[in-house]
Amino acid sequence: MNRKATRMLLRGILAALMLSAVFAASAGANSWKFEGKALEGKETIVGAAFESSMTIPGLTTKCENFLYKLSIENVGGAGKGSVNELPLYNCTTNSKWCSVASIGAESLPWAAQTKVVSTTNYITIEGVKVSILYAGELCALDETWAIVTGSAGGRIDNTAETATFDATSFKETGTVLKALGSSIEWKGVFPTEAFQTHRLQALTVS
Amino acid sequence: MRTKHQRMKAVCAATCLAALAALAFAGSASAKLTGAYAQFSKCPYTNVEVKKCLYSPTEGGEVVLGLKKVPITSTAVLQGGFGKPNKETKFSTFYGSTDGITLSKAPQSVPGGLLGIVPPEKSPPLVKLLSAFFFENALTGVNSTLELAKTASDIKISEAHLAEEIGVALEMPVKVHLENPFLGKSCYVGSSTSPIVFKLTTGFTEPPGPNKQIRGKAGELELFEEGAVLQLKGTELVDNAWSAPTASGCGGILGFLVNPIINSQLGLPAAAGKNTAILKNTVNVASAAAVKLNNEENP
Repeated sequence: MNRKATRMLLRGILAALMLSAVFAASAGANSWKFEGKALEGKETIVGAAFESSMTIPGLTTKCENFLYKLSIENVGGAGKGSVNELPLYNCTTNSKWCSVASIGAESLPWAAQTKVVSTTNYITIEGVKVSILYAGELCALDETWAIVTGSAGGRIDNTAETATFDATSFKETGTVLKALGSSIEWKGVFPTEAFQTHRLQALTVS
Repeated sequence: MRTKHQRMKAVCAATCLAALAALAFAGSASAKLTGAYAQFSKCPYTNVEVKKCLYSPTEGGEVVLGLKKVPITSTAVLQGGFGKPNKETKFSTFYGSTDGITLSKAPQSVPGGLLGIVPPEKSPPLVKLLSAFFFENALTGVNSTLELAKTASDIKISEAHLAEEIGVALEMPVKVHLENPFLGKSCYVGSSTSPIVFKLTTGFTEPPGPNKQIRGKAGELELFEEGAVLQLKGTELVDNAWSAPTASGCGGILGFLVNPIINSQLGLPAAAGKNTAILKNTVNVASAAAVKLNNEENP
C-alpha cells in the first residue's frame, strides 16, 4: 500500500470515528441538572399542571387541580424518575350530560426517564394508569369506567422550566395512552420545579 | 227518554275520548328521533329498566361452522336496550327491539351451495340417488342465516368487557338457518333447546385445539350529541371456542336421509375448537334517557 492510500484510509477511519462519536452524543442519555450541574442524589419535584385535558374524540375531561409529585435522580448519567403521587380534583367534561364521578391515578409509582429525540429533550412516563368513572343519566358513558393506560412523553423546555405533553410530544417519543379501547389525546403543561435541596434553582435537562 | 239522551251523551263522550286518544297515539307514533339518535328508534327506551340503547350492525367477518366457512357479506343488526350492569358480573340484562326483530335476519350465501353437499362414499344407493335428485340441479344455492335461538332476555352484554377488551362482551344463543327449497323451511343447526352459544370477546379467546387463540378489538371510540351517544368503529367480536350440534329439520319428511348428509358435509356435530365466529361491527350506544328526551323534543 503506498503512502497516499494509507493517508486516505486513515482519514476515512478518523472521519468514521468522529461521525460515530457525534452520533453517540446525540443518541446518548440526557440528565437532570440544577444550575447547570448534574444532580447528585435524589430530588423531588412537586407541581400542578398549568393546564391539562384528556380527550376521547367527542369528550374532553379537564381537572382544575392536576397535581403531581415526581422524584428524580441520575443513574449512570441518565435522568430517571418516578411519579409517586398524582392527585386529581375538580374534574369536569365539556359535555352537558357527562360528569366525572370519580378519578384517580393507580399502580403508582410510574417509572420516568429523560430522553433525547432529534436534539429535543423529553421525559417519558411508563405504566400510566388513571381510572375515570363517568356519570350522568343522559351520558352514554354513564357508570362506565374509562381506564387510561399506556405511556406518555412530554417535551422539556429548559427556558420555561416546563414539560409539555401534547400530540407532537407523544408522536416524537412513540408513546400512547389508551382508554376504552381507543387512543386518547392528553394535553398538559407542567412546571418542573424542585421542592427540596434544590428549591428555587433552575432545573434543566441536557 | 231522558235516559236515552244521557246514553247518547255518554256514547258521544266516549267517541270523542277515543278520537282524542287515537290522535295522541298518532302523535307519539309519528315522533321522530333526530341526528345520531335516529338509529335507536327500535330501542325500548320507555321501559324504565332500560338504561342504554344499542344499535350494532355486523358488516363483515365470517362464521366457520365445522367444515364450512361462510363470509358475512350481508349486514345483520342487533338492536335493543340494556339495563344497569351487575356489579359483580358486569353483565347487563338485554331488552329486545320494540318491533321484535332484535337480531335481523341477513341471509349469507354459503360458498359451494348445495353442490358442496354430497353424500359420503359409503352411503346406500338410495341416499346417493336422492342426493343427486335433490342437490344436483339448477337450484343449488344455499343461504345460512344467524337467528336468535332464545328470547332477547337471554342475551348478555357487558359494556365494561367490551371496552376493556377482556372477558365476554356479548353472549348470544343462536341457531343457523340453512335455506334452500329442497332443505325445507326448518333446516337448522342449533335450536332453542340446544342453541349455539356465542361468547364473544373483544380480547383474546381461549379455544381448545385445533383452533388457536385469536384476538378481537374494541374499535375506535367517538362520542356524539354532547356525550349522549357513543360509537365504536371497527369493533371485532370473536369466539372460536363454541360447539355446534347436529342439523335438524332438513329435508322435511326425508329428514332421516337429508339430515345425515348435511351433518356429514358440515362436519356436525362440531366440538368446541372447530368453529369460529368473527363479527365485524359498528357498535352504537346511547343513553336511553337521552333518546327519550330527543323523542319528546321532536313530537
